[in-house]
Amino acid sequence: MSAIAERVAAAGIGNAIAERMAAAGAGNAIELRGVSRFFGALAALTDITLSVGPGERRAVLGSNGAGKTTLLNCVTGDFPPTSGTVRFFGEDVTTLPPHERIRRGLRRTYQISLLFSRLTVRENVYLACRGVSRGRFSFIRTRASDAIMQSVVDLVSLVHLESVIDRLVGELAHGQQRQLEIALALAGAPRFILFDEPAAGLSPNERGDLVAILTALPAHIGYIIIEHDMDVALRVVESVTMMHNGRIFKEGSPSEIEADPEVQELYLGGGHG
Amino acid sequence: MATAFGGDSGARVPARGDALGRWVGHHPIAALAVAVAIIVVLWLVLAPWPAGFEDVFGRKRLFINALFNGITLGGLYYLVASGFTLIFGLMRNVNLAHGSLYLFGGYMGYEATQWTGSWLFSYVVAFACCAVIGIAMQFLIFRRMEGEDLRQTLVTLGLSIVFSDLMVWVWGGNAIQIDTPDSLLGPLPTPIVVAVRSSGEAVFLQYPRVRLVIFAAAVLIGIAMWLALHRTRIGVMIRAGVDDRDMLSVLGYRVQLLFVLVFAVGAGLAGMAGVVGGTFQSISLGEDTHFLLASLTVVIVGGMGSIPGAALGAVIIGCAEQFGQTYFQNYATMLTFLIMVLVLAIRPQGLLGRR
Amino acid sequence: MALLQGTDSAPIGGQQAEHSGALSRWVSQHSPILILGLVLVLLPAIAGEFILVQVVGWAMILGMIALSLMFLGGYGGMVSLAQMTVAGVAGYMVAVFGASSLPYVSLFWPWWVAVPIAIAIAVAFGALTGALSARTEGIYTIMITLAIAAAFFYLTLQNWPIFNGFNGFTTIPAPIAFGVNWKRPLPLYYLILFFAALSYIVVLYVSRTPFGLALQGVRDNPRRMEAIGYNVTAHRIAAWAFAAIIAAVGGILLVWQNNQISPFSVGVDVVINLLIIAVVGGLGHPIGPFIGAIIYVILRTFALDALVAVGLDGRRFQTLIGLGFLVIVLFSPDGVIGLWHRWSARIRTSRGRNGR
Repeated sequence: MSAIAERVAAAGIGNAIAERMAAAGAGNAIELRGVSRFFGALAALTDITLSVGPGERRAVLGSNGAGKTTLLNCVTGDFPPTSGTVRFFGEDVTTLPPHERIRRGLRRTYQISLLFSRLTVRENVYLACRGVSRGRFSFIRTRASDAIMQSVVDLVSLVHLESVIDRLVGELAHGQQRQLEIALALAGAPRFILFDEPAAGLSPNERGDLVAILTALPAHIGYIIIEHDMDVALRVVESVTMMHNGRIFKEGSPSEIEADPEVQELYLGGGHG
Repeated sequence: MATAFGGDSGARVPARGDALGRWVGHHPIAALAVAVAIIVVLWLVLAPWPAGFEDVFGRKRLFINALFNGITLGGLYYLVASGFTLIFGLMRNVNLAHGSLYLFGGYMGYEATQWTGSWLFSYVVAFACCAVIGIAMQFLIFRRMEGEDLRQTLVTLGLSIVFSDLMVWVWGGNAIQIDTPDSLLGPLPTPIVVAVRSSGEAVFLQYPRVRLVIFAAAVLIGIAMWLALHRTRIGVMIRAGVDDRDMLSVLGYRVQLLFVLVFAVGAGLAGMAGVVGGTFQSISLGEDTHFLLASLTVVIVGGMGSIPGAALGAVIIGCAEQFGQTYFQNYATMLTFLIMVLVLAIRPQGLLGRR
Repeated sequence: MALLQGTDSAPIGGQQAEHSGALSRWVSQHSPILILGLVLVLLPAIAGEFILVQVVGWAMILGMIALSLMFLGGYGGMVSLAQMTVAGVAGYMVAVFGASSLPYVSLFWPWWVAVPIAIAIAVAFGALTGALSARTEGIYTIMITLAIAAAFFYLTLQNWPIFNGFNGFTTIPAPIAFGVNWKRPLPLYYLILFFAALSYIVVLYVSRTPFGLALQGVRDNPRRMEAIGYNVTAHRIAAWAFAAIIAAVGGILLVWQNNQISPFSVGVDVVINLLIIAVVGGLGHPIGPFIGAIIYVILRTFALDALVAVGLDGRRFQTLIGLGFLVIVLFSPDGVIGLWHRWSARIRTSRGRNGR
C-alpha cells in the first residue's frame, strides 16, 4: 500500500459505517432531475438531469460560464434550484439547508479557498471535524487527549501540512491553502465529495500529490470533480459529463470524450497536453 | 467563438416579461392580496362612507386626514431615507450622522430664511451646507478607510455625537419653526368627499397647500433621482457599484469621485429634508435622533440600497405613524416597530431589497 | 490594525505539561490580571463607599454589559446596540416581579423567583433580537439593534400599566439572602466584583470551546461554516442568548446599585455610550470592555470639574466623549488593548535591540 494510501487509511476516512451506508444506499449517490437555476433573467442551468452512483468518480467539464460551479452550488444547497429536484442517496434534499446535507455525508471544496484566515491550520481542520460530529454547541473545552484531536493531526499530515499546523492560515502559501481546502473536505466520514477546481494554482509536484490523494480515496467515496486541467481530471475519473451554456452536452468515458470531435472543437487549444 | 450549437458562449436567455411580471408570476397569492388592498383603499378614499360604516370605523374625515398626513410625511421620510440608502448602497457605510445632517440643514435653512426671507433659497443653503460636510467627511476621512465598513460607521457615530452637542450649544434646546411662505399658506380644496351633510350636500377635503406642494416636490425629486440613476452614465456606474462592489475596482480612480458625489448628494438631501421638517413640524434637539431612527426603519422595511424601496418604505412608515397616532395613541410607535419586525421575519432583505 | 482582528486566547487542545513548571509559567503570564484582581479584592480597605459602589462598582457593571457586546461583536462579528436594552429588560422585570416603591404594579415576589424570571425574559428578548438580525448581513445588525433599542425606549416611556412610563421604578433593593444584606455597600461591591470576574472568566474560557470556536468561524466565513456542517443561524441565536445572560445579570446588578430604573436608563444615548465603551476598551479581548468602562466612569464622574477647570463649558461632556471616541476609532481602532499591544511590542523590540 502506498504511503499516501496508508495515510488515508490512518486518517480514518474509510469509516466502516460510511462504507456500509454507501453500499446499502438505494440507487444513485447524487441524482438531479430537471434542475434549472435562474439569476433574474440569466439562465445559469437549464433542465439538468444527472445521476452519479455511489463510489463513482465523475468529471464535469465545460468552458467558463457553462454552469459547472452553479451545478455544484445547487447540489450543496448554497443556492436552491429555481426548479427541479436534488436527491442525495435517495433522499430528496432540494429544500434542505447546506449544513443538513453536509451532515448526511456530502462534502465540498471551493474554487477560491474559503478558509478561516485568522485561525490556525489545526483549528481550521478541528472546526471541520467538529462540524460533522456531536458537541458543536459544547461549552467544554476539547482536551489534547480527545479522539477528535488525533483525527485532526492525521488529516493535517495527509495533506503534508504538519510543519505549519499551528500557523495562521492567512500566512500560508497559496498551494498550502489549497491543500488545507482538501483536508476540510475529508473530515468526518464523507460519502460523496464535490471538488471545485482543486488543482487551480498548484505546482506540478502538488498536482501529483493531489492525483495520488484522489486515487487513494476508499472505493465507497464517490466524487465529482470540476477542472479545467484535463490532465488531472481525466486521470482520476471513470466518467465525464460535459456542460455547455447551462446544459449537459455530452456524457461518456474519459477516452470517448477525449476522442470526440465536437468536444475537440469546443476545447480547441484549451488545457490539453 | 463559433460552436457546433451556434450562438456565442454566453448563456443569456431572454425572460418573458419584466421583473414585475416575474414577481406576480411567482407570487400569485401575494399579488392578488396587494391588488385587493389597493382597490379597498381607493374605495375608502373616493367613496362617501355609508352611515353604519362610520359608526364602526370612525369619521371619514379622520381617516382621510391620517392618510394624507401619512403620505405627505412619507414624502419627508423619503427625502431623508433616500440619501441614507444611497450612501449605504454604494459605500456600505451606515451613516449614523444622517440625522445630524438633517438637523443641521434645518437650522441653516432657518438662518437663511431669517437672513433673506426666501423659503426657496433656504433649500439651496441647506443643501449646500450639508453637501459640503458630506464631501469633507468622505474625502478627508472615509477615503482612508476603504473597505472597513464597521469602522466607517463608528466614525459617523462619533461625528453625530459631536455634531449634536455642538448644535445644542449654538441653537439651544428650543424648537424652531420655519415659516411657510405666504403663497403657500392656507388650504387647497380637493375633490375628495369627507362627509355628506344632512342636506345631501357633499363636504370636500381642504388640505394644507404647503404639504401638498412639498409632497409633489418630493415626488419630482424621486423621479429625477430615478432618471439620474437609470439614464446617465454616472447613474449606471452607481447602480453597478451598488449591485456588485467588486466591479467598482474596475473603474479605478473615478471611484473616489463617485463616492464623494454620492455622499454630497445624500447629505444634501438630508439637509433639504431638514427645511421641510422645519416647515411641516419644527426642528429641535432630539430631532436628529428621531429622523435617524425614521431613516433606519424606512430602509429596513423598504430594502437597503434601493431607492424605490426607500419610497415604498417611507409611505408605509409615514402612514403607519399617522394612523397609529390617530387611532392608537399610546402605542403609535409600536405599530411602526411591529411592521419592521414583520418585514425582518418574513423578508429580511426588505420589501424591495435584493438578496 | 483592524477593529475585529483575531481575538487572542490560548490554542485549543491545550498541551498537558508537568504541573509545577506550568503553574509558575501561568502565573507569570497572567500577572497583570492577577494583580488587578488582588487590588479589587482589597480595595474596600482603602476606598470609601462612593468610590466602591458609584465608581468601581458601576464600572464593573457597565463592563459586564459591554462584555456581552464584545462577545457578540468580537467573537461573533455581530455588533449589537441592544445589549443595554437587554440589561434594561432584566432590570425592569426585576422591578415588576419583585419589590419596588409601586405596590400597584410590582408583584413583590421573592428574589429567588423574580431574578430567574427576569433573566429568562431578558434572554428570550435577546434571542429574539438575534433571530431577527441573524439572517441579515453583518453591518445590518447595528441598524436593527438600534431600532429595537429605540422601540423599547418608547415602549417604556409610553406604557404606564407595566413600565410606569416617564417615572419608571424606584426603591428596588437588593435582597437579604443567606444572612447577608446585599443592599449594604460592602456586600454589594463584592457581589458585583464576583459576577464581573465570573463573566470575564467564563467568556475567556468559552472562546476556546467548540461553541466559541464555531462562533468565530461563523464570524470569519459563514458560508464555509455551513459547508462543513454548522447551522449558522442556530449558532448565532445561541450566541445572542448566551450574551443576553451576561447582560441580564449586569442589568439586575445595575438596578440594585442604582436603586431605580426609568426609560432614560435605556435611552438611545445610553445605548450608544455602551458601544463606545466596548470599542474604546477594545473588542479583541474580554478585558477590553472593563477598561473602556472604567475610563468612561472616571470621565463621567470627574469630567465636569476638569472641563470647568480648563475654562470650558461643563455641559459639553458629550462632545468630549464623541471626540475621544473618534480619536480611538481613527488612530487605534482596536481600542486601548491595541495600544497596549503595540506599546509592549515596541518595548520588547527596543529591549531586544539593546540586548537584555
